[in-house]
Amino acid sequence: MSDVKPIRIFMTGVGGQGTLTATTLLTQTVLHLGLPVTSGEIHGMAQRGGVVESTVLIGCKSPKIGHGEADVLLGFEPMETLRALPYLKPGGTVFSSSEYMLPLSVATGRETCPSLDEVETAVKACTDDFRFLPCQTLGLEAGAVQAGNIALLGALAASGKTPVTVEAMAEAIRANMKAKIVDVNLKALELGAKQDA
Amino acid sequence: MPHPLLADNPGETHLLLGNEAIVRGAVEAGIQVVTCYPGTPSSEAPDTFFRLSPEGKYYFEYSVNEKVALEVGGGATLAGALTLTTMKHVGVNVAADPLMTLCYTGAPGGFVLLSADDPGCHSSQNEQDNRIYARLGGMPVFEPSTAQEAKDMTRDALAMSKKHEAPVMLRTTTRVNHLRGPVEFGNAPDPGKAKGFTKNPSRFVPIPAFSRRMHLELLDRLDALREEAEKSPYNTVSGAGEIGIAASGISRAYLCDALENAGLKGKVKVFDLGMSYPLPETMALDFMKGLKKLLVVEELEPVLENELRVLAQKNSLDIEIFGKNLLPQNGEFTVTMVENAVREVAGEQAVTVDCCEGRDNLPMRPPNLCAGCPHRGAFFATREVFGDDAIYSSDIGCYTLGLLPPLSCADFLLCMGSSVSAGGGAALAAGQTVVAFIGDSTFFHSGLSGLANAVFNQHDLLLVILDNYTTAMTGHQPNPGVHHTVLGENPSRVDIAKSCEGVGVEVIRKVNPLNRKKTVAALEELKDMKGVRVLIAEEPCPLYARRITRQSKPQVAYVTENCSGRYECLEKLACPAIYKDGDKAAVNELLCSGCMLCLQICPNIKAKKRG
Ligand SMILES: Cc1ncc(C[n+]2csc(CCOP(=O)(O)OP(=O)(O)O)c2C)c(N)n1
Ligand code: SF4
Repeated sequence: MSDVKPIRIFMTGVGGQGTLTATTLLTQTVLHLGLPVTSGEIHGMAQRGGVVESTVLIGCKSPKIGHGEADVLLGFEPMETLRALPYLKPGGTVFSSSEYMLPLSVATGRETCPSLDEVETAVKACTDDFRFLPCQTLGLEAGAVQAGNIALLGALAASGKTPVTVEAMAEAIRANMKAKIVDVNLKALELGAKQDA
Repeated sequence: MPHPLLADNPGETHLLLGNEAIVRGAVEAGIQVVTCYPGTPSSEAPDTFFRLSPEGKYYFEYSVNEKVALEVGGGATLAGALTLTTMKHVGVNVAADPLMTLCYTGAPGGFVLLSADDPGCHSSQNEQDNRIYARLGGMPVFEPSTAQEAKDMTRDALAMSKKHEAPVMLRTTTRVNHLRGPVEFGNAPDPGKAKGFTKNPSRFVPIPAFSRRMHLELLDRLDALREEAEKSPYNTVSGAGEIGIAASGISRAYLCDALENAGLKGKVKVFDLGMSYPLPETMALDFMKGLKKLLVVEELEPVLENELRVLAQKNSLDIEIFGKNLLPQNGEFTVTMVENAVREVAGEQAVTVDCCEGRDNLPMRPPNLCAGCPHRGAFFATREVFGDDAIYSSDIGCYTLGLLPPLSCADFLLCMGSSVSAGGGAALAAGQTVVAFIGDSTFFHSGLSGLANAVFNQHDLLLVILDNYTTAMTGHQPNPGVHHTVLGENPSRVDIAKSCEGVGVEVIRKVNPLNRKKTVAALEELKDMKGVRVLIAEEPCPLYARRITRQSKPQVAYVTENCSGRYECLEKLACPAIYKDGDKAAVNELLCSGCMLCLQICPNIKAKKRG
């Protein structure tokens, strides 16, 4: 395994958002590229609106990422990006959605979410290498909110930060997703990739 | 074309979840019988077996609980079938009685128990280390660390079990069950028919006179299995030097990456234990000879550490052994944690990981009952009738989330099924009304025997059975009471009301918990009675309805202009579909399942057609 430079990608989102679908797709893409890959997921109570964390590791044996170990952080929700920042290596890369999914305590007005500015400030304190994308909007533009995650993967693929390319992702989408949803996801991938240009 | 997991397609590589890899390994071994009770993190293994069962060449069942699953599996292996029984770690507590004796009788057809442990309590009430059960019973243990190993070890554990007629434990942890990695397939032979039963009472009936001999035979089997561990391809020694590291389970993966990070690969001696029990002592001694220091890397209990310490002591080895003094005995490890333990033993400076600063005190996302969950209706009505005057005896399932305010309907809980029996105990000691809640799956798991006990001992208990037609918490598996499964109608449904009647309950009522008035009325009536009373709150889980029976309600709720901004809906129901929008409440139509409970609480909420 030591001939491949290890890359650790930490992903976080909210239950029901499709974080795990995105994780599996990214893992399949890396596998198609012929690289050693492991991924992990923790989704104890995911279907009930909890946080879902997952990992994709290239050239590593372990499926887990500890604090300060991630080269890339993908946040499918801005507050979750902020919560997961300790996993990121200082100077690492962040791709995050800029659109919130409010937790119940915020929806009921008992607590408030940090503003996008606050999230950005915290991210800036760790790295200059970050990008925020309106994932749900891009998903809707592509044809389905859930495809928003794929837009974020599109931005990652276009960035060249990992061996994953936009073409390889497109191929994995065609090979692994149900025919019905392939076009929507390809569109989302493209929209996300464009954001990175 | 058969499903890739079942096909004879050697050489193909597929990306699999650890639990799917276990299924494939069993298929490659020629599995004949699979039994289980679901539980995170084990569930995707039995759920995959179930989904594929129409085309699989094995028998599969969801048993009612782990003890029954192990007994059905035990009977099958006694009758010569190659058998796999799966459960989460605490399930083994339930199954421990038959398990200990199956270790005595042996398993003629071969038998593997999948014990899915959960260090870090990601989805469990404790983080017990079931490798200790394996020692208690005398079963060999395989501990995979990758998807490929999960597949290969399942296959090889089954083969070894069959060869030695010894039950074997496949012990995983959450990270292994829920990792995904490439798996190269081997052959998937036709399993054929089970050998059948050969009568031999002195071997299979553990009366004391026979048991004494069975125990000796078990010890002999363990000696033979120790020889297997000595030559197992999963046990290897690599590297060189005076510092040794022994690791088992997922810790082997952490160790591999930690050595890479520390630049110590090849510079220390590593003892990888994939088949970790019985300890291959000759191999371990060879490994330890010439070492000055030894670090043992294993999550949870110091099981290997203690065995290696004993071995060192017996052989008067002058070696300093580290383990739980450097690494925690609770929770999960990380690569960095392992790296620093290695560095400490190697006399190198610890790495300090710089990590980015997040922010404390962010709003949390505690799990909550879904929008439209019928449990919410049952709890809401219960609070309306009993408030804080009753003691709420809870149980394990989605409805445990009724613990959270504003519903606050859980005061204590021990384990699955305890709501009924511990509820009865609390009532007799406290002299207070006890309302117990139990789900349909948990009722069949271990509520029924408690209920018979309550009737027999004249407990004073109001039991609310939350029948949502499914085992929701663990992924919507079938249970005896369900009407439908992913494969179609349940042809042999066991009726909950009749079961209660059968064990002697005289007062049984049934309501739809989403009907506030009727539920309150039923609870009021039962409140005034004494003895064992049962209320069956019957309404399908909306997620189950959508996924399994493809039904959803045609209407959604909306808030009218007249909303007074008192937010009673929000404060009393905590429904995730309702939120504050300016100075009024609003309903998120995408989340609303159309249960219409909120309409019964506020006149300013109305129904409209979805879409
Ligand atoms: C001994 C044991 N086995 C399995 C589990 C895993 N588990 C947690 S909840 C649950 C089933 C809950 O089903 P049900 O009682 O129908 O309630 P629901 O989730 O549908 O509301 C299971 C199997 C456990 N916690 N303990
Ligand atoms: S999955 Fe079903 S039973 Fe569980 S909280 Fe959601 S609606 Fe309720």
